[in-house]
Amino acid sequence: MSRRYRQWVKQYQDQAWTVARYILKDAQEAEDATQEAFVKLWHNQDSIDPERVGAWLMKVTRNGCLDRLRRRKEIVEFDESYMGVDTSGPLRGASNRETGAWLKQAIGRLREPYRSLVVLRDVNQHSYEEVAGMLELSLAQVKTYLHRARKQLREQLAEVRP
Amino acid sequence: MNEYDEKWEAQINALLDSELGQDDAELLKAEASDDRELARAIIEAYQLQKAMGKIRVERAPASLRKKLQAIPRQHRATTAPIFLQPRWVMAAAVVPLVLVMASLMQPDTPSAEEVEQARYELALAFAYLDRAGKRAGNEIEVTVGHTMSDAITGTVIRNIKSQYESPEEKEV
Repeated sequence: MSRRYRQWVKQYQDQAWTVARYILKDAQEAEDATQEAFVKLWHNQDSIDPERVGAWLMKVTRNGCLDRLRRRKEIVEFDESYMGVDTSGPLRGASNRETGAWLKQAIGRLREPYRSLVVLRDVNQHSYEEVAGMLELSLAQVKTYLHRARKQLREQLAEVRP
Repeated sequence: MNEYDEKWEAQINALLDSELGQDDAELLKAEASDDRELARAIIEAYQLQKAMGKIRVERAPASLRKKLQAIPRQHRATTAPIFLQPRWVMAAAVVPLVLVMASLMQPDTPSAEEVEQARYELALAFAYLDRAGKRAGNEIEVTVGHTMSDAITGTVIRNIKSQYESPEEKEV
């Protein structure tokens, strides 16, 4: 049982951490939220379909993060120091690394569920079907919302990268 | 982009997800050649896709990795053995309760031995009463005569016997 759990930790810890990091924007809170999700996984491992552990874990991690946001009545701006990049100016001539850092911040500024959709689909590379299950949305909703989220990002990117 | 915004948006995303068929891709390309906004949207989408490609899943910090590895050790003790889990404890508690209730609900029927013992004791009592009745009859007979003694002792013995005999025993 412990071996199976350790395998899941190895497989999903980075994905769960990424989800928590993008949603909470605070390293310590993201760490706590990820840990809570894995504690739940440990206690519920016998009742979870092994084929769906990844989806279950991402859903639990995200819900835990959203609960934390509700508790602190989240309107906290994105922590600029997190990426160490100034987002105010244009990205003309910016390196790929800087563009990536800018994009991370832009994703962090999206509203829910757009932010989670982009992280789960475009960063963690889950399938549309998996994302729909994690967010309890229909496949059509996932596609529509993701299109809107990408459009926002695209337009922001165009503004800073003429 | 124009009034076909949502439609083209879906097509652009399908293109980026490599889910757009050949015919639809040709149609989108043809439309973009006449629609500058659409062409621009496609280029921006490609730029975003390229930038997204630079973003990777983040590596969890070492402190978190350690905490996650420690969860089984920290939480195993709090997990009760299966026979101590509430549902099994409840089931175990219900068993004696059911047995007691079942025994209480059974009709109170005496055993054959008990019936036999009761018959024996009853016979002894009748024998005693019979003897006592005869003795009393003798005393009365001596005092007031034979006819009077029968009238008193016979009635007493018949009344006592009738209270203990079942209908079948009366017939016998």
